[in-house]
Amino acid sequence: MKKRGIGMASIFYGTGYGNGFPDVSSAVVEIHDDGSATVLTGAADCGQGSNTVLAQIAAEELGIPIEKITLISADTDCTPDAGTTAATRQTYTSGNAVKLAAAKAKKILLDFAAGVLAVNTIDGLDIKDGYVYVKTFPQKRISVAELASHARFKGNRLIGEASFTTHSTMVDPETGQGAPYYPYAFATQIAEVEVDTETGKVEVIRIVAAHDVGRAINKIAVEGQIQGGVAQGVGWALTEEVELKNGQIQNPSFTEYLIPTALDVPEVTPVIVETYEETGPYGAKGVGEPAMLPTMPAILNAIYNAVGVRITELPATPEKILKALKEKEQKNA
Amino acid sequence: MHERIVGQSPWRVDGIAKVTGKAVFPQDIYLPGMVYGKTVRSKYPHAKITKLDTSKAEALPGVLKVFTARDVPGHNGHGVLHPDIPVFADGKVTSINDAICLVVAETQDIAEEAALLIDVEYEELPAVFDPREAMKETAPKLRENGNIAYHLKIRKGDVEKGFALADVIVEQSFKTSMVDQAFLQPEAGVATVDERGHIVIYVATQYPHWDRTEIARALGVSQNMVRVVTTAVGGAFGGREDMTVQIHACLAAMVLKRPVKIVYDRSESFKAHSKRHPMYMDYRVGATRDGKLVALEATIIGDAGAYLSWSPNILRKAAVHATGPYYIPNVKVDSYAVHTNNPFTGAMRGFGAAQPPMAYEAIMDMLAEKLNLHPFTIRWRNAFERGSETATGQILDMSVGLKETMLEAARRFGWNVEELK
Repeated sequence: MKKRGIGMASIFYGTGYGNGFPDVSSAVVEIHDDGSATVLTGAADCGQGSNTVLAQIAAEELGIPIEKITLISADTDCTPDAGTTAATRQTYTSGNAVKLAAAKAKKILLDFAAGVLAVNTIDGLDIKDGYVYVKTFPQKRISVAELASHARFKGNRLIGEASFTTHSTMVDPETGQGAPYYPYAFATQIAEVEVDTETGKVEVIRIVAAHDVGRAINKIAVEGQIQGGVAQGVGWALTEEVELKNGQIQNPSFTEYLIPTALDVPEVTPVIVETYEETGPYGAKGVGEPAMLPTMPAILNAIYNAVGVRITELPATPEKILKALKEKEQKNA
Repeated sequence: MHERIVGQSPWRVDGIAKVTGKAVFPQDIYLPGMVYGKTVRSKYPHAKITKLDTSKAEALPGVLKVFTARDVPGHNGHGVLHPDIPVFADGKVTSINDAICLVVAETQDIAEEAALLIDVEYEELPAVFDPREAMKETAPKLRENGNIAYHLKIRKGDVEKGFALADVIVEQSFKTSMVDQAFLQPEAGVATVDERGHIVIYVATQYPHWDRTEIARALGVSQNMVRVVTTAVGGAFGGREDMTVQIHACLAAMVLKRPVKIVYDRSESFKAHSKRHPMYMDYRVGATRDGKLVALEATIIGDAGAYLSWSPNILRKAAVHATGPYYIPNVKVDSYAVHTNNPFTGAMRGFGAAQPPMAYEAIMDMLAEKLNLHPFTIRWRNAFERGSETATGQILDMSVGLKETMLEAARRFGWNVEELK
């Protein structure tokens, strides 16, 4: 018989290295003669999309289109150290570093613009769509390209460099008291599964994944992270296990170590909850790791909800579920 | 929001290159005069190496050199916290995948053929594979100061007083599995010596600047002489935090003055990089009739495997996240990272905060069932909000959208959240 069940799981996740460790990212931004710009960051894009997100942040801060940004990343001869691409930290930590560096380069440009536009302070100036303009009198404007070229000819160099450190406090080794991570991300996922009581096989029908990411810098990228995290969580819950025998891996191939295929991944509904983290770039926190955390427990809770057996040892294979069902039957008999 | 680019979804800057196959991974790089490296790994989890004869392999036509521990000019070790993973095993192996030597040859085929000719003899040593066994005094000692690499205590309030207030208590043990990051692109790198005499490696990595530190330390050269260029990376998920091909390829390129390529197949990839820590988690949690959590006691034991990698940080993260996103006034957690002769464990998506949800989220449902509460209700009543205090005493003075995520998810399942609060 096939029985359906629903399970819920919530998590929190402390982003960043944590525990007072120097969690630093550095970046350099240079605006060129024609108003385009180069960003240097040590952050490695492992496929999650930091090159795009950091370019978006630089473009936003400089008020120019993303096509006018060249971002060079993760080459130790020419980019500054941005720390590791881990700990759900690149959007937050390197995002902040790139934003600060861009703001410094922008300030040099605006200082020059103040003279050209005859305003007494740069506070009233901003950049949008490639123009520096007076916020309260937008018709007074000058293109970034013209201004940058002019400023550079006068000997100004439109270069900003910045480092950002994520705040955290070491915990006491005897009591664990302290403030080890900052900021925390939060998530709730609810899974619906169908369990075949004859075979023990679990099919995940659908998962709703709601994530507090602070702010989505790139909505599709965040949804992609959530989709991928859920897929990885499905594998962890149901099929994946490195089998060891006397310390030797018994299944080092994808024919024996089973990751989910497209057929195993359920319908995923990513829900982006935006809470606007004050310390994050444009309100962003992160989503990389939290994306997979609630999936496994939500599935295990859904299995219990469906057939009344609680799997306490991963993965929840058909064999384990059948064994647990049999034990439950014997207990009830 | 007034932003114009932030919050949108512009095309990925690497999107077209990725979908058209133009993105360059290390596997795609071919340099003139390039030669190939093949790693020979241990066959035993804990053993003395009594003989290592590379002569037959080196005699094979096309083989340039076999690199062993004695060829490492700098520190023969690497590691993100403590450099205890040998570049090449020096007289002893502590896990089955330890690198013994690297064969470098004109072609991949010759390198692989020569690797089979490496003659290694071992004298097996007693080994331990279960971290709970490894904690015992009688277990084989893998480190001079014992197998427990890390222990963090969290003490908040008074758990016994807390349990005395509980109307229901749930006690349950859990175990998570060892899993692999299973990134799409197995490890690969190409190292060369450039016109300045600097060592350059093109590699898929998570942290090029740290790789540079590790490479320079092992090669005994200054860091400005090492350039790490990150190519396109086919996923990482923590599995590229520790060194794999980097030092081997750079050492061979430096000595042979030829570009050296190392590409792992899937099987070697499984063996070479860290795994997610299996954790044994014993939990006891109490709640009052209205579903308020009053006490939590947990012991978490993580299998660190043979080498330290990020284990202390991972077990710290497990302890800090042991309560779940819920306010609990009385908490006692003991978290341990313990060495065994299993493959070493390290960073993987979630980094120690991934395992405890198996326990605390099961227990939330178990408590709810005993109290006849909906799973949503018990979570809602204990959920962190802005200003809440965690088990480590941290005040969550930041954006805390937990309850919003609960509401958003529940509404999409058609739950009547107003009734369930």
